[in-house]
Amino acid sequence: MFGLIGHLTSLEHAQKVAVSLGLTEYNQDLDFWCSAPPQIIDNFHVTSVTGQVIEGKYIESCFLPEMLISRRIKTAIRKILNSMALAEKSNLNITALGGFTSVIFEEFNLKENNQVRNVELDYNHFTTGNTHTAYVIARQVEEVSNQLGIDLSRSTVAVCGATGDIGSAVCRWLEKKNNIEELLLVARNQERLNNLQAELGRGKIVSLENALPLADIIVWVASIPKGLEIMADTLKKPCLIIDGGYPKNLDSKFDHPDVHVLKGGIVEHSLDIDWKIMEIVNMDVPSRQMFACFAEAILLEFEQWHSSFSWGRNMITVEKMERIGAASIKHGFSPLTTF
Amino acid sequence: MQKLAERPELNFSSKEYKDSYSRINAIVIEGEQEAYENYGQLAELLPELKEELIRLAKMEYKHKKGFESCGNNLQVKPDLEYAKKFFADLHGNFQKAKAEGKVVTCLLIQSLIIEAFAIAAYNIYIPVADPFAKKITEGVVKDEYLHLNFGEKWLGEHFEESKAELEKANHENLPIVWRMLNEVEKDAKVLAMEKEALVEDFMISYGEALGNIGFPTRDIMRMSAHGIR
Repeated sequence: MFGLIGHLTSLEHAQKVAVSLGLTEYNQDLDFWCSAPPQIIDNFHVTSVTGQVIEGKYIESCFLPEMLISRRIKTAIRKILNSMALAEKSNLNITALGGFTSVIFEEFNLKENNQVRNVELDYNHFTTGNTHTAYVIARQVEEVSNQLGIDLSRSTVAVCGATGDIGSAVCRWLEKKNNIEELLLVARNQERLNNLQAELGRGKIVSLENALPLADIIVWVASIPKGLEIMADTLKKPCLIIDGGYPKNLDSKFDHPDVHVLKGGIVEHSLDIDWKIMEIVNMDVPSRQMFACFAEAILLEFEQWHSSFSWGRNMITVEKMERIGAASIKHGFSPLTTF
Repeated sequence: MQKLAERPELNFSSKEYKDSYSRINAIVIEGEQEAYENYGQLAELLPELKEELIRLAKMEYKHKKGFESCGNNLQVKPDLEYAKKFFADLHGNFQKAKAEGKVVTCLLIQSLIIEAFAIAAYNIYIPVADPFAKKITEGVVKDEYLHLNFGEKWLGEHFEESKAELEKANHENLPIVWRMLNEVEKDAKVLAMEKEALVEDFMISYGEALGNIGFPTRDIMRMSAHGIR
């Protein structure tokens, strides 16, 4: 059995979901959510195109992005550790940390905590899912640019959040497997940018405002709880934006026929799944679409690779992306390529 | 980057710490005393389980002694009068249920609410306790899980006929817990115990117990958050 740990988009979203589920006790302010414990709120089955069937559980962590915005770091950390303890207690073989939960785990170095109350955490039972997310985003760049007639060999690609786990992996893939004209590396930390540039042996370090007008393709994978402000008229036309952030709301910011915003890091399964959670997080096709990081846990369970496939910062190799990518195709998943 | 395991600098012998400790320590001592008496009284209601209940009662008494030594160690005199008042409502509800022969309500109050409350408090206290109290509390918390388990087991075996009474007892008693947590918030903070962490830990243990008894997730979420404001 596998698990998925997730969270809702905002306090407002959480309150709406609580009311729609008839849980009026949860229709409360942020203080309440800071005290609310994680819960297993969904049980479901996933069928592979090979015919294999596996069972999964969804753990709602009750973490909300407002906790990071208001610097309630201790609270955010507690949410993640308590969710992981619940996964461990529920004997889940492999559990993916979705949305901000993996960011918090890495950023605050939670690996030092292997005892949560009476539960011992075994980190082999958890994955950030970032390898599959990076693979899916890289494939989205390749497939959708082709669809739009953007020639990668004559394109400038700006990776915003380039030094992150997913961003750096996407850079590695693009560098190794494609012949793109220019790679722009955008991130806040100069030292990490220099290291990435040295590792890749290419890429231009550029500020966000200078990078955006130059890019034919923008890969947005910055892990910040705030949205991005971009003016459509400063962008190249056509421009493809792969929105790998959370929440995925960049599409609401543009209304231009030549600016194409694709939801990044989303996969589609070829068979229906009997879950409710993807409806709650507003997927367009809730029975088939999901975050690629969640799909990684599903793939690891199908393949019985019960280990932390994605773990640690900037450890994702192209070989690992190819490996999870092959499993993804084998079991019937494909990157979202429609707008 | 913010450090995670940032331990607050606590001065266990400061006036402020000892003042708050005199109430918190008393609550813990009184809580164990209540538990000792309650298990003794439950033994009268459940004579077939008398032996086990007396064993649990004795463990609670031992815990009480342990916590008394924690107070002594810091040279703090527990404010037992305050603690008696603190527990008065739960105590009253237990006595009333006992007089009416309501085993289910008695078990909910003692074996679920008070045990989950104790587990939450001890779990949150352990990382910030003085070294002497830390050792004692670590030993106690293991026992408390066993006690929670006793209530879960009995109520689980009698789930269908207990369900309605559990809902009602939850409705009546959980708001008392939130009030108790609010009352203790300031003193707990002096000991570096955050109220929101206490509430969360309580909801985890209490919710888990409700789940083990047989309630589905939806009921657990509804019941364990009842009356919280």
